[in-house]
Amino acid sequence: MKQRDDWHLTDVLDYEHGRGDPFAAAVRATRMPMVITDPARDDNPIVFCNVAFQELTGYSRDEILGRNCRFLQGPETDPATIDKVREAIRVGQAVDVDLLNYRKDGTTFWNALYLSPVRDNEGIVRFFFASQLDVSDRVEAQNIINDQKLLVEREVERRTADLRAALDAKTILLHEVDHRVKNNLTMIGSLLRLQVRTIDDPSVASKLDSMLERVDALAVVHRQLYQSSDIARFDIGSFAQSLVSDVVGSSGRSDITLDVKAQPLFVDAANASALGLILNEILTNAVKHAFTDGRSGHLSLVVEGGNDYGTIQICDDGPGMPSAARSKSIGTSLITRLARQARAEATWRNNMPGTCVTITFPQTEARS
Amino acid sequence: MTNTMQVLIVEDEMLLAMDMEAMVEDSGHRVLAEAASLHDVEALPDDLNPQLAFVDIHLAHGSSGLDVCRYIRTHWPDALIVFVTANVSKIPADFSGAHGVIAKPFSHAGVVNAINYLANGVFAPPPSMPRPASLIPSPSLEGRWARTVA
Repeated sequence: MKQRDDWHLTDVLDYEHGRGDPFAAAVRATRMPMVITDPARDDNPIVFCNVAFQELTGYSRDEILGRNCRFLQGPETDPATIDKVREAIRVGQAVDVDLLNYRKDGTTFWNALYLSPVRDNEGIVRFFFASQLDVSDRVEAQNIINDQKLLVEREVERRTADLRAALDAKTILLHEVDHRVKNNLTMIGSLLRLQVRTIDDPSVASKLDSMLERVDALAVVHRQLYQSSDIARFDIGSFAQSLVSDVVGSSGRSDITLDVKAQPLFVDAANASALGLILNEILTNAVKHAFTDGRSGHLSLVVEGGNDYGTIQICDDGPGMPSAARSKSIGTSLITRLARQARAEATWRNNMPGTCVTITFPQTEARS
Repeated sequence: MTNTMQVLIVEDEMLLAMDMEAMVEDSGHRVLAEAASLHDVEALPDDLNPQLAFVDIHLAHGSSGLDVCRYIRTHWPDALIVFVTANVSKIPADFSGAHGVIAKPFSHAGVVNAINYLANGVFAPPPSMPRPASLIPSPSLEGRWARTVA
């Protein structure tokens, strides 16, 4: 059965009109407030209301019949909603709205109004049928929820603004501290360099030079860290590559040939300074001791990654360094101690000729 | 020596200016002048004609190395301009027309290699030696030497 033929549904009962009509009885007795209006009469007045409607509104039947439904409206009733109902009546359509209505005693209630036309066999609207439901509790609850939502949103907004301001302040402070670290590192390097220039004793000057190279290595580590977008990891592979070309390049030694096989290789940023200093010691030692007195030669750097451990191998083809001499130098003790700190291991072996140093260190995954 | 660059150093930290000057001169080049602010640069004689200028971004009296860069480009258009700064992120994408940047804290090796590379580019463009990692080039640097070759 199609929905528009549903009026036949009530045909299945065999009933008489008048007192025994079960549908009329149902409308009279239901606890849902209902009215029927007659659009054929002037101002579409109410021609029927049930007891539930009288109880809801507080009016007696005499006060209700013959009046247009608008007598339930009051100053706070929303005009746009009234227009919606009026328009539905004009075009003969059903309408479903929540409307603020007034009882006889002036108190208000939220009325879930459902209004629909009743058409005859010719399709002419003969009546409007309206059912009401007091939904004040639901609307009130919704209003409370809306109010609370607004409050919470305002609170969230306020706290977000506070947090943002705090973050901005911390960011400015961080930038300031970062700037001071960079400037101080630069100044320490500059101070040492200016001092080195004034020293005539070659052995003192060379010790100061080594110090300067260490400060420079730290500066380069710091620079690479702050220029990277990833503050937790440090690319020791690229660092080693630029350090070896810097050290050899600035030595002015065009007679040292370089063989570099490097790749990006990441370590925990906490170990960056230690590993950077280790590499600096090995590379500067190689340039100073393997190619001393203008002796030309070959220096190789190989950076290899593994699953958990990376290795960097630096080999020269110089005369090699007796292990007794090596164990006495501050460079070797720096390398050993710093390696322990960075959970790395440094091993020396004879390159025949020359020396190979291999550093093995824990590797971290590169962030994709 | 014919391959001597005439260098201008714009740096408000005197210690760093002294250090830069020493590195430039140890590399066989000549420092024409040092300036600590935009005002100092504007006071330099118009016929100074530096071939290379090292310019810090944060300068004395609240002046900016970006403004110094603009001034140098109008007055000495042939000069190579290299920013030396801890504020690499403040440099616009086009480097304001400058040719590169050396980030602070710099290392002696990094600066000396950059000077050698730039001198190589100035006197025998394009440079035959590989660019050191310490010098970050601007788009106009490679373009400049490509044009010289063509």
